[in-house]
Amino acid sequence: MTPAVKLTEVSKTFDSFKAVDRVSFAIETGTIYGLLGPNGAGKTTTIRMILGIILPDSGTVEILGDSLRSRSKDRIGYLPEERGLYRKMKVIDLLTFFGEIKSMNRRSARRSATDWLDRLKLSDVAVKKVEELSKGMQQKVQFIATVLHDPELVILDEPFTGLDPVNVNVLMDIILEFNRKGHTVVFSTHMMEQVEKLCREICLIDKGRKVLEGKLADIKKQYGHNSVTIRFRGDGSFLKELPEVAGVNDYGNELFLRLKDGADPTRVLMAAGSRLEIQKFEVAEPSIHDIFIEQVSSG
Amino acid sequence: MKALHIIRREYVESARKKSFLISTILAPVLLIVLYAIPVLTVFLVPPEQISVAVLDRTGLVATEFVSSLSGTPENGKQTYKAMVADPMGRDPAAYKKILVESIKNNALDVLVEVPADVFEKGAVDYVSKDYFNERLMDEIKDKLDSIIIARRLAREGMDYDRAIAATTHIHFNERKITKTGMMEERELIGEFVLVVIFVMILYMALLSWGISVQRSIIEEKSSRVIEVLLSSVEPRDLFIGKIIGVGSLGLTQIAIWGAIMLAVGFSSSFAVAEFSQYVSVSFGDVLYFVLFFVLGFLLYSSLFTIIGAVCSTEQDAQQLQSIVVFPMVIPIMLMFFVLQNPNSTFAVVLSLIPLFTPMLMLARVAISDPAWWQVALSIGLLVVSIYGVILFSARVFRAGLLMYGKRPSLREIFRWFKYA
Repeated sequence: MTPAVKLTEVSKTFDSFKAVDRVSFAIETGTIYGLLGPNGAGKTTTIRMILGIILPDSGTVEILGDSLRSRSKDRIGYLPEERGLYRKMKVIDLLTFFGEIKSMNRRSARRSATDWLDRLKLSDVAVKKVEELSKGMQQKVQFIATVLHDPELVILDEPFTGLDPVNVNVLMDIILEFNRKGHTVVFSTHMMEQVEKLCREICLIDKGRKVLEGKLADIKKQYGHNSVTIRFRGDGSFLKELPEVAGVNDYGNELFLRLKDGADPTRVLMAAGSRLEIQKFEVAEPSIHDIFIEQVSSG
Repeated sequence: MKALHIIRREYVESARKKSFLISTILAPVLLIVLYAIPVLTVFLVPPEQISVAVLDRTGLVATEFVSSLSGTPENGKQTYKAMVADPMGRDPAAYKKILVESIKNNALDVLVEVPADVFEKGAVDYVSKDYFNERLMDEIKDKLDSIIIARRLAREGMDYDRAIAATTHIHFNERKITKTGMMEERELIGEFVLVVIFVMILYMALLSWGISVQRSIIEEKSSRVIEVLLSSVEPRDLFIGKIIGVGSLGLTQIAIWGAIMLAVGFSSSFAVAEFSQYVSVSFGDVLYFVLFFVLGFLLYSSLFTIIGAVCSTEQDAQQLQSIVVFPMVIPIMLMFFVLQNPNSTFAVVLSLIPLFTPMLMLARVAISDPAWWQVALSIGLLVVSIYGVILFSARVFRAGLLMYGKRPSLREIFRWFKYA
């Protein structure tokens, strides 16, 4: 099956700043794909290049089996990082317009907008101006603008940032619904909770470069079960010096230790137990959060 | 064509704004008031009476001068209260001082002192506190001139009454050859003022609608709608949509103005017969106005899109937009010269420069009848430049759209042009 998105050796430089540096990845059709990375890693630039808003300096972008043209733009829904709505327009007119520029005819755009407003309990504000709406309502309107035309590929740039818990759930429902229909969802984030819950595949980029890519399950397997979360009282600084330990994330109350291949967690427990008062000791697979922190801080 | 949706949104949403309603209704009202004031003052303000005293050292001029001034006023605007200043035995120099004093106190407007040697030297003193106007001075001078020349002729032996008849001044009946080749009695100054207003309306329409294209782009950038738009349409569609959407709203406004003016013109030319004398803009002129608005708008608004695309805030744009506004102001400054000498070589050359053509060629066709090839050439050059400017600005527009933050230098803009 042709991938929904395929980037090959894509680079973009602004003045002398290399925002994206030879990034390649392919996103399978029908998956939920997470584009991860710290702030300023190049996520938004990558997404803008996928959408054809800016062109890469080098490399190629293929969308839905085609180089990006107006035609394929109609099959994509995009939620920008910073919300963009015409503040003076009536909600229903605005949504109809956004549907029309995705090549929907006026009537079906209006009908779809009405259905979505109904579903998100916004029917009352359909004829109000955008600027009269609360921030949470505006966010919902922006979601509708993204999915109104039932796109095969939904691209969301930092969709969960600044959302209240209710809207986070609304958005997660929409993402899962699209996934069930066999559509592809791509989103960038630095919030790992949603990645764990939603993503099947991820790509981690940092300082413009791809650091890690693949199925979430595979990545976790690669990091192995060889990791330990430990909570204790006392000075645990000696733990990172233990011969079994390969990497450390200090979360304050807890310490995450990634062990070397074949290392025995029991030895770590014994070493720790001899000098600290242990409150919790857990051998578990690393969370994506742990992997993220370790990858980004080591790079 | 996705541009159609952009055009429609731009048109409908801008037409709904209060500012559109206000400018559409208020502008013609303001214009009518401005134009009506001088016309109405003629009818409503009573003519001012100018008091003139003649101190005659020759004893030959005063009586006749006073009676000729006191006759029916020629232009209906001024009447004179003229009197002979008779020293009655007093020292003339001291008496003059008293008269000058009364000018200072506003008891008298003008003192004319005719010296004894006026027939030889031909110099007369004209004393006044105010300049009044040239017409007044010319009128007083003409009257006195006739009498003094007639007196000179009488000294040479001519009969005085025949001499005075011979020195009557001529009068110009102003007639203009119009575009239809007809000669019409016209007040040329009225036509001049009307053409100035006509060109100024074009200038203001081009400026305000050009800037609204720029403003609309900046608004989309600052509200970040631009990203949603660009993920759906090509920059070309957006560029076309902005210009045509805003431009057609501009045309709509002009059509409304035209209708209002026509209605006012009709009703007032029935009510006030004199009014039609002032309205000398023909239907052809109006067609030229629309043509030059369309062409001028395409030219200038494409340039304004560049400003909109490279600036992220209104403040940034205000500094940069003078680059576009400046070439629009130049023809306005040159307009008076062009209207006075519409067919001089300089005026012809100026009106062929594409950046100036909309305003200056309109001025020329409205005030006179330039050669057809000049009009055709200017339009041809304008169309070619519009094509070039649109190619250029569409590229910079695309490159500039997603640049937020720092405003680029001119050099960067040209670099984008190369890359885009």
